[in-house]
Amino acid sequence: MTCAKYRSVALATVALIGLPALAQETQEQSPPDPQTAALLERIEQLEAELADLRGVVLQSTETASKAEAAAQDAVDRIAEVQDQASPAPSYAVSPGMPDTKWHLAGYADVGFVGGDTPGPDSFVSGKFNPALHFQYKDFLLFEGEFEYATTGDGKTESELEYSQIDLVLNDHAVLVVGKYLSPIGQFQERLHPSWINKVQGAPAGFGHDGVQPTSDTGVQLRGSIPAGSTRLTYALAVGNGPRTTSEGGVELMGMGSDDNSNKSVGGRVGFFPMPALEVGGSYLTARVDGIMNPDMPVPSGSGLPLDARFQLWGVDAAYTKGPLAARFEYLKSERGKLFTVTDEEPDGVLLPDLEMEAWYGQLSYRLSGFSDSEIIHRLEPVVRYGEFSISGHPELEEENAQNRLNAGLNYWLAPTIVAKAGLEWRDYTVPGVPDETLIQFQLGYGF
Amino acid sequence: MKSCIIPAFTLAAILLTGGSAAIAQSVSQSAPEETPATESAAETDPMQIVRGAKAWNETCSRCHNLRSPSELTDEEWDVSVTHMRVRGNLPASDVRDILAFLQASNNQ
Repeated sequence: MTCAKYRSVALATVALIGLPALAQETQEQSPPDPQTAALLERIEQLEAELADLRGVVLQSTETASKAEAAAQDAVDRIAEVQDQASPAPSYAVSPGMPDTKWHLAGYADVGFVGGDTPGPDSFVSGKFNPALHFQYKDFLLFEGEFEYATTGDGKTESELEYSQIDLVLNDHAVLVVGKYLSPIGQFQERLHPSWINKVQGAPAGFGHDGVQPTSDTGVQLRGSIPAGSTRLTYALAVGNGPRTTSEGGVELMGMGSDDNSNKSVGGRVGFFPMPALEVGGSYLTARVDGIMNPDMPVPSGSGLPLDARFQLWGVDAAYTKGPLAARFEYLKSERGKLFTVTDEEPDGVLLPDLEMEAWYGQLSYRLSGFSDSEIIHRLEPVVRYGEFSISGHPELEEENAQNRLNAGLNYWLAPTIVAKAGLEWRDYTVPGVPDETLIQFQLGYGF
Repeated sequence: MKSCIIPAFTLAAILLTGGSAAIAQSVSQSAPEETPATESAAETDPMQIVRGAKAWNETCSRCHNLRSPSELTDEEWDVSVTHMRVRGNLPASDVRDILAFLQASNNQ
């Protein structure tokens, strides 16, 4: 190779390597184009704004820290005051609930009664039964219920149905003290409110002047005891007990005081052979005194029975599953011979043994599964048959002894609002007493 | 006339004195059993509400139609369920489950 060639190759190599570097240096040293300049200016503005924002955030963080500290101080102070004022008892439950809670409940009904009866067809005002419940924490409940009704002559009747204090002793026992609904059987204690009762009235013998005690005043121990896969329920009661009436019958309602020193003892035990079936047995025993005429006291040693044993027993069963409810109750009472003053015998009379017996069976079925119709879905046919017999008291027997059949159709406007239409046939068992056929309508509301 | 006085008063005395003692005991000892776990039923025992729904359906319908849970507030259900516990001799465990279900279902 010649020197000229070597020179040419060297120049070419220098040109290839050096020109790009030269070009780059030339670009860096040249002023930016307008677009690049604008971008650089924008970047500078953003950096300035970011610095400002940093300052604002720092200020906000300081403010939030101060507020958080103040709030924590307040929370600590509130907790301190609460601890000093009322330390929470160990049995206080349901956080957020006050110690005393209350609930206004009850029921009311209105209606119409007509048909083949001695009296005229009438609208009836029915009953209004407000009930108040006051509960202290979870171990004490006061409950009371009034009954208001308008009589045929426009006066207002009022009665204290029950007024009792319930003390929850443990999971299996509650102590009830006061005037309470009779625990005998099922109807009086659980089924008589008009929004629960499928028929307009009580079965024969299970209302006033019947064999069913309505209430008593005393003390009850009641509750539930596990028994294998099922349970036993119990209600044991000691009360003032029944009293002889001025007609010579037996008054089975809660008296404010006792007319003798003898207390009634009784109650009910229930059992569930299967979840849908409840069976029970009831018993009550007491002594009742005859009414004495203070102007003509019975001489001692006369041999006349001045008091008598009163006993009552019964069984009940209820099968409730879905739309079906079948019920049965039986009660029988006996009172021995008794010397007493009556309205008709002011000088006293020796009354014979008194026996009363009543039972009923009832079947109802809600047509909820029969149709898609909303109307049929709310219908509930019901039929009830019962008998009430009395021996040893002709006047009571003539007035009350009967076989009674009820057939009705209920329409439920809501779970606690029912419109009832029904027929009641009363077949009085004393010869000569005319039978009656009643047409009954009732609207009952439980609240 | 008074042949039944002694047994009757004995029973009454047992009920009253035994009851009073049991009250004190129950308040101090067994009261936690009375806790109706409504405070956190779903948290501590999610199945309580399920059991409550079942017990509500079986127990309440023995006597009457089922009231909607939304009819009453939490406080009112607390009182009402205690009332029904006494009236129906309901087991305390069922009462707690039913109350938890009603209070969780009433949307109040």
